[in-house]
Amino acid sequence: MTSRWRRSVVELALRGRQRGECERAQEALGRVTSCFQQLAVSLGSSADGSFLRDEMDETRHLAQRICRGLSRRLLRLLSDCGPAPSIVEDRQVSERLWVLFLSALEHFLSDLRKAYDLIGRFPLTQRNDRRSLVNTGCMDGVVAVAARVASVQAPWLTMEEEQSPDLTNHIAELEAMQSEMQLRVPVAFWSVEATQLAGAECGGLEGLQEGEDSLEELMEGEGGSRRPACCCLTCV
Amino acid sequence: MTIRSTLQDHGQRYRPRMACLKKSEKVLLEMQDPKTGLKSQPQRLVITTIPHAITGEDIIAWLADRFQVDTQEARSFGSMLVALGYIYPLQDHKRLVIKPDASLYRFQTPYFWPTQQWPVEDTDYAIYLAKRNIRKKGILEMHEQEHYNRLHKWMNHKWDFIVMQAKEQYRAAKERKKPDRVVFDCQERAYWVVHRPPPGTVSAMDYGLDRQIDPNSDEAVTPDVYVRIMIFTQQSIMRPRVKSSVSIGALVKYCATYNNHDPFLSNCLPSNPWITDDVTFWTLNMPCVEIPTKMRVERWTFSFAELLSDTRGRDDFRLFLKKEFSGENLAFWEACEDLKWGEAASIKEKAEHIYKTFLARGAPRWINIDGKTMEVTVKGLKHPHRYVLDPAQTHIYMLMKKDSYGRYQKSPVFKDTVKKAICPDEHRFSVAQLEQNSKKRRPSLSPIILRQMEQEQRAKMAANIDITQLCRFTTPVPHLAVYSGFNDYPTATASPSLTFLAHTPACPSPISVALDSTSVSERRVEEAEGDGNPAARAPVGVSKSRMALSLRRLLKGGYTPATMFASLSPKCHSAAGTSSRIQPISPDQPSQAPPRRIGNFFQIKVDIPPECRIYPIESEDEEEESRAAFRGGVGAKEIICPWESLTTQNGTG
Repeated sequence: MTSRWRRSVVELALRGRQRGECERAQEALGRVTSCFQQLAVSLGSSADGSFLRDEMDETRHLAQRICRGLSRRLLRLLSDCGPAPSIVEDRQVSERLWVLFLSALEHFLSDLRKAYDLIGRFPLTQRNDRRSLVNTGCMDGVVAVAARVASVQAPWLTMEEEQSPDLTNHIAELEAMQSEMQLRVPVAFWSVEATQLAGAECGGLEGLQEGEDSLEELMEGEGGSRRPACCCLTCV
Repeated sequence: MTIRSTLQDHGQRYRPRMACLKKSEKVLLEMQDPKTGLKSQPQRLVITTIPHAITGEDIIAWLADRFQVDTQEARSFGSMLVALGYIYPLQDHKRLVIKPDASLYRFQTPYFWPTQQWPVEDTDYAIYLAKRNIRKKGILEMHEQEHYNRLHKWMNHKWDFIVMQAKEQYRAAKERKKPDRVVFDCQERAYWVVHRPPPGTVSAMDYGLDRQIDPNSDEAVTPDVYVRIMIFTQQSIMRPRVKSSVSIGALVKYCATYNNHDPFLSNCLPSNPWITDDVTFWTLNMPCVEIPTKMRVERWTFSFAELLSDTRGRDDFRLFLKKEFSGENLAFWEACEDLKWGEAASIKEKAEHIYKTFLARGAPRWINIDGKTMEVTVKGLKHPHRYVLDPAQTHIYMLMKKDSYGRYQKSPVFKDTVKKAICPDEHRFSVAQLEQNSKKRRPSLSPIILRQMEQEQRAKMAANIDITQLCRFTTPVPHLAVYSGFNDYPTATASPSLTFLAHTPACPSPISVALDSTSVSERRVEEAEGDGNPAARAPVGVSKSRMALSLRRLLKGGYTPATMFASLSPKCHSAAGTSSRIQPISPDQPSQAPPRRIGNFFQIKVDIPPECRIYPIESEDEEEESRAAFRGGVGAKEIICPWESLTTQNGTG
């Protein structure tokens, strides 16, 4: 009897640790995908180049590794949980992680598809392909972004070394992962609630907000836009 | 997180082909050519300079040159490129137009180009708004705030992800150099101006409904495709053809008629709400408005269908018909429409009511359709379906169109309406007033409320009909439906004094008996005699007394000799004769038909079958007599639908 209790305590502790791992991995995934988006924005523009594409591949592989590990662990977490009432709150936390991961996966997939499309449209295989790149005003590469990606740490990255697929297979793999997860574990995603109120994100980033006002002014450029929004119909 | 179903459900979920996008992209790539493309200049900002800015006039000049068009057209083309989001303005970023001066624009990066395959996701917009919230420290524009609140509610389950991603994206963007960051922020902002336009503007990516077929997928060529092609070509061969002179002539006539009424081709008065944001036009043209506009009234004269389809026009027509005592035609037509478009569960019930009210022998609001149609209709009513009353309805529609419509247009009712119709002055708004108008836009009444109002109106109208169209001395029976209301009906009484009408027992006389007690008893006798027996009867005695009665009527006054004699004329005979044919196929026992009382009336036309009308009597004293007579009068007997009474009859007649 007591051994069963002790076992359950041990199990609970283990599960708690796993959840912590997943949360950290989720954050890491968020970092990697946002960097990926920053890189993808420059695709097809004058800042495009082989360096950019390589960096994108690296980022992608990293994201893939995080995704694989995360999906495996989440599946394990959520299929193991028994229907015992004492672990209802844990189940809720796990479900939240599940929903967040799937949303992140979906978001990343849409970015990947767009990137795939753009790379197909602007292949840089020949020299005069560069002529058709769009002059968007972005000059610099994305070195700092790449560095940010490199600094990401996820709990199991060092442990698991698997081969990295190319873009098409990557997309296919993620899609398969997504449908598998949705089919394997029935999670009612509408029952997950946000932990933050609307507008709560403004407060937390004071350090980052210095110099933001000047950025706004910069964006307006010359020819002040201080006048109120003009409400005219655009002509098409 | 969205769950995508793999089942094919034939729903409409694909974005349509947007050919403009591919074509715009080609043009845009041509603009990038270092030799033949657009020349760019650096944009000087306070801290730095950003290259690749282009001026509006350069864009217009390049387009005009490339496509060999004039400046105006090049300008609209350029504005289209801006509206779609391929080029964005650096100053005045909310107005997506090309200004033909030195104002600066920049090309949008391909990541933010509009696509046909993938719709713009709300998740992305939520992340963008969260980022903006962070940057602006909670001060968003009003429409952005509304969107934010709505998305927070609907995406609550992934809100944590959204906030987390927003913060990460914010931090990632900060890693870039300042000019690039400025460019990226401008690009993102321009993207969302296109796809989530601020109020007062429309998005160029609006495409209407989703389609059923994915335009990006290739259609598999199966034998089914060829079968369909064959069927299509066979049908095209079999289609009847019209001479082009005829069809073009019809088109020309239509255009000429409707030219002034088309809001695209000519001005709406007072002003087009879609352009000036002033809704006077709509309020003046509401369906149940008291005084219509002149244009609306003019449209009623174009065709009968126009008159009927406009609610106000139909009301006017109904008023006219009421004055002419032929309101049952329109009521029948409306009842048929109700049957056609109503719920399936109520078809049987509605069909019965319509039969009882309009079609049965002795119905309170009997309509005049020819025998064949009546035959067909009653036969069909045994197994009623939605379109069972179509032939009858068409007949009545044609009747109204050929007859009443013409008279309506010459009637005082219509002339009065025309005189009272208003013609509002044209609005002339200044630019400032236009802006004011667009700020004051409010949503219209909810469709739920509109439907409730409509139902109330209909109920009110239904209640009204009984009172005005019935005899003033009949009491409406509550349990019968809207269109009926009588409980006292004279029997299929004997024919009038003319013996040659004797063989039509179903033909009551228009010169009806008075309503004193003697007549009641008389008619009870007739009732007994007149049992479904088409054999000749000679109720001479009765008719004599009736003749006497009618003379008395005449002498009392309030009764035109003309009408009386007219109804005695052979014409009436033929009408009566036809009406005798208008009997249901399955025998309708007249004994079961309730006693029918027909009032006297001024008859304007003489060829109307005698058994149809029951109208208020002109003279007062007759009314009182009748009221007294019938107060304690004959018990109410309903008209029974023939198919219902089949079982109970013992098959006479």
